[in-house]
Amino acid sequence: MKLFSVIGTYLLPLLYFFSVWLYGRGFFRGSRVAEAIKTPFLASTLLLHLLYLSNRTLWLGHPPVTSIFELMSLLSFCIAAGYLYLEARTRVRGTGYFIINLSFFFQLFSSLFIRDERNVNPILQSNWLGVHVASALLGYAAIAISAAYGFLYLMLYHEIKATKFGVIYKKLPSLEVLEGMSYRSAVFGFTLLTAAIAIGILWFRREFPESSYFDVKLIGSMLIWLLYGVGLLGKRIAGWRGRKMVILSLSAFGLAVFSLTAINFIFSEFHTFY
Amino acid sequence: MPDLFVIGISHRTASIDIRERLWFSKEEIRNALPQLKDRFFRECVLLSTCNRTELYGFPRQSGLDRDNFRKFFTGLKNIDSVVRPEHFYNLSGRESARHLFRVATGIDSMIPGDVQILGQVKEAYSLARECDTLGLVSARLFQSAFHAGKRSRAETGISEGAVSISYGAVELAGKIYADLHRKTALLLGAGKTSELTLKHLRSKGIGRLYIANRTLSKALELAERFEASVIDFDSFKSNLKSIDILISSVSSPQYILTSGDLSRLMKERENRALLVIDLGVPRNIDPTANRIENVFLHDIDTFKVIVDKNLQKRHAEIPKVEKIIEEELSRFLHWKDSLEVNPTIEQLEAAVEAIRQKEIDKYRHRFRPEEHETLELLTRRIINKILHPPLVTLRQGLEGRDDEGIRMVALTRRLFGLPSQAEPAFGDIEDERPEQADTGEEAPTEDETE
Repeated sequence: MKLFSVIGTYLLPLLYFFSVWLYGRGFFRGSRVAEAIKTPFLASTLLLHLLYLSNRTLWLGHPPVTSIFELMSLLSFCIAAGYLYLEARTRVRGTGYFIINLSFFFQLFSSLFIRDERNVNPILQSNWLGVHVASALLGYAAIAISAAYGFLYLMLYHEIKATKFGVIYKKLPSLEVLEGMSYRSAVFGFTLLTAAIAIGILWFRREFPESSYFDVKLIGSMLIWLLYGVGLLGKRIAGWRGRKMVILSLSAFGLAVFSLTAINFIFSEFHTFY
Repeated sequence: MPDLFVIGISHRTASIDIRERLWFSKEEIRNALPQLKDRFFRECVLLSTCNRTELYGFPRQSGLDRDNFRKFFTGLKNIDSVVRPEHFYNLSGRESARHLFRVATGIDSMIPGDVQILGQVKEAYSLARECDTLGLVSARLFQSAFHAGKRSRAETGISEGAVSISYGAVELAGKIYADLHRKTALLLGAGKTSELTLKHLRSKGIGRLYIANRTLSKALELAERFEASVIDFDSFKSNLKSIDILISSVSSPQYILTSGDLSRLMKERENRALLVIDLGVPRNIDPTANRIENVFLHDIDTFKVIVDKNLQKRHAEIPKVEKIIEEELSRFLHWKDSLEVNPTIEQLEAAVEAIRQKEIDKYRHRFRPEEHETLELLTRRIINKILHPPLVTLRQGLEGRDDEGIRMVALTRRLFGLPSQAEPAFGDIEDERPEQADTGEEAPTEDETE
């Protein structure tokens, strides 16, 4: 069990790197071999990742949600799985390079710093916390995918505006498709983040009735939630669309990454209350 | 068998005035092929497009009098006095097969990677089959050419990207909008390029089309051809709110739409993306409007950039196509050689076996019955040992270069006095009906039509 976990820790970043390389070869070089094997390879990587996470849970006796680096590995898995689902659903196969890169970096950080802790705070073994973390991670994965599509939208937008018709113009789907994918992912992410925040607050009130609500992570999450909420409301009511929406989505994602990483490095605990 | 021969004219050797005089309609091809077969060829195929007319054939006998044939060929169209010998090119053997492959893959076309030519070659093949002028070798030759054509489109980028201004405009629309079926386009003015853009938009399934032109009759005529609606030119601005693609090519000394007009329009249309294609010279729309968010304004220079880039890319793909051609050509020649080698080997073995059998029958009585089996064995071993080196050499000739196999076959037949080969029967050919010209991702354009 331990051996498999160790192998997975070192192997997964390499496999994600090779997936990124295959998607990149397909996108930038038009390699037919890469085009043919990239999706099965990513699916195999995901399967191994799932086995790694399951094995780790059984071995250490807790789900991989007890440290930021375990969460990063889970997030990496969710992003890649979400992308694979979108690829199968929409048949848009040219955007993987930009999204699997996120999975690679999250997994790389996770593999570099992850520790195998058997003894964790008992508070982290609550079922409510499990639901809170699962919905938050899926929400973060969805907004990461939304941001990646938003980024691609901006690249294509500027290429068309500036009359530069390079590989981005040739390989990416239309602006409307990219905007639609970014928007749908954002809606999905926002819904899950809403659930995560609501469950988190209920759980917090039950477990820490005396604690203050002034938690940096909670405030950060509320701010991210608010930004997405404003954006989605703006689209629905004021007809915001295109570049403006995409920039808002990217800003919210930037804040989410900051909240997930930098805040955790500044403060020793995930939340201030545990 | 006399070698494949091709004679023809194309955009490389003759101007359009000459090419159009030697253009054969389908009906004319149906009339010409039987005559050509009767007088000159065992098998022949006539390909005629607006950029080339070519006759591929296997002459009945070697040493075809090409001048005589050319006179007969041009006589079919009564243009002996117009077309001169220098307008024609003549190729034979491997070069003529290679030429057909170059034509079928589109690298001999005016625009490399032309998408229509493969369909036209298939049409020529179909007409030859209908007229019974296709034979075993020509059928296989053309099928190899089709395969080369398909491979070049699937394995290289020879046909990728728009190579005309009008198609470039439609391609750009496809990069902004997900589904053209739900979009509305307005054509202002009725220039040739904008008309072609309209045609491509229609072929891509644009939802609704409107036309506004100063000359109403021209607008009505276009509207009828492209199932469009006509709107009043003077009040076109009031209709812009529902338009997604605006194509303008009017003659006007000043801008017909200013940046301010488009800014106001974008507010009215809740900032939905607007593609504006300005094909006018001088330009019809204030170029600073491109700074407005979600307005994609492009003039004729934009599309020249697209076309030039795509043409460069297509030219860069030609070596890859040539590699495919050489592979397919080599496969075809190998097949053609085997057609001659295998029957020769069989005939040689049969001839020697007949001699052995005859001699044994003649002298069998001189041997005791218990020696007959040994006699059979011994004579068989002797002829097998004698035949082994020439048969191996013949088979190796199949793997050899160019026409080496054919030369060995001829020599063997002469040395062993084998009878002349019976003509192979027509059959065992994979049937392949001609396809429609591809109008898929890259529809044929005014520049791309063969």
